[in-house]
Amino acid sequence: MDLAHLHLLLNHFPTIGTIMGGGLFVLSLITKSDDLKRASLVVLLGISLIAIPTYITGNGAQDAVKSLPGVSKTLIETHEGAALVALGFIEVTGAFAWLGLWQFRRLARVPNWNLAVILVLTAVSLGLMARASNLGGEIRHGEIRAEQGIVAPDGLARTVGSFVTDTRWMWPTCETLHFIGLSLLMGVAFLVDLRVLGVVKGVSFASLHRLLPWAALGFGVNVITGMLFFVGIPGQYIHNTTFYWKMALVMLAGLNAVYFTLLEEPWELGPKEDAPLTAKIAAASAMLLWVGVMYCGSMLPFLGNAF
Amino acid sequence: MPLALAVVLLVLGVTVLVGFAGYLVDRSTAHQERKD
Repeated sequence: MDLAHLHLLLNHFPTIGTIMGGGLFVLSLITKSDDLKRASLVVLLGISLIAIPTYITGNGAQDAVKSLPGVSKTLIETHEGAALVALGFIEVTGAFAWLGLWQFRRLARVPNWNLAVILVLTAVSLGLMARASNLGGEIRHGEIRAEQGIVAPDGLARTVGSFVTDTRWMWPTCETLHFIGLSLLMGVAFLVDLRVLGVVKGVSFASLHRLLPWAALGFGVNVITGMLFFVGIPGQYIHNTTFYWKMALVMLAGLNAVYFTLLEEPWELGPKEDAPLTAKIAAASAMLLWVGVMYCGSMLPFLGNAF
Repeated sequence: MPLALAVVLLVLGVTVLVGFAGYLVDRSTAHQERKD
């Protein structure tokens, strides 16, 4: 399976997933069902995670099709620009969905302001995702192309990419912020994981749970800076196997975070109490996954062809 | 502006923004928890 296959496999998830997540969310507001609300927020968070490899594999697919007859570079760049905007919005939607899940655990409800933000962001993301999907489909399907076609490319991704590589302060700033985000994320994640594993038992899980938004902010900083690196020089990453391992581990670690954000089992862990085996397994696997992410990130120049 | 100074200022600026966002989330949650 090459990157074009992988992109074809993934590229339906963000649009269909946003329809499903958004639909469930609206239904939960109508029926006032808390379970449905939580499920819809988990779906939206999952879609925001899966949108990252969908975007990344798009550059690989571009490499595979750009020299085929009938494939327009203009259409590819327009699709890439639309996909970047849609990715930005779905990531912000995922961030607020995660915040909603965290608020659910702490306050037993999601504040109205966040419900409104998620609703608006989901609607906008869906529109942008549908546009990006449609433009992507037009690359290989002439039968659905607009009659006039696209005459001027929306080369937003390439404009951003050139800005990242051509502006002297951009790359070192993003590198420094990537490490600050990493420290914030790891600092909080390891504190929570170590408590579950039996260190600092005097502290309740609920006390540490309050720190999780700081880890989420660190993760957000790293998604933004990481995507700027990728958009700057996609060719440096798309043929690097270590980069795909890093992305896969980020996805798994993101799903693992839902366990500590939302579920009952770790939340009930009071001071001096020992965590159940499943919580310890989740904590140990979280630590392994994040160490794996760090290992793959730092080994990009040494394993494969990045940098 | 020298590169090093530009990077330091930008990094500090973004860090302050991220810190402020974290502070706002923490403060509003503490307020809600007290109210509940």
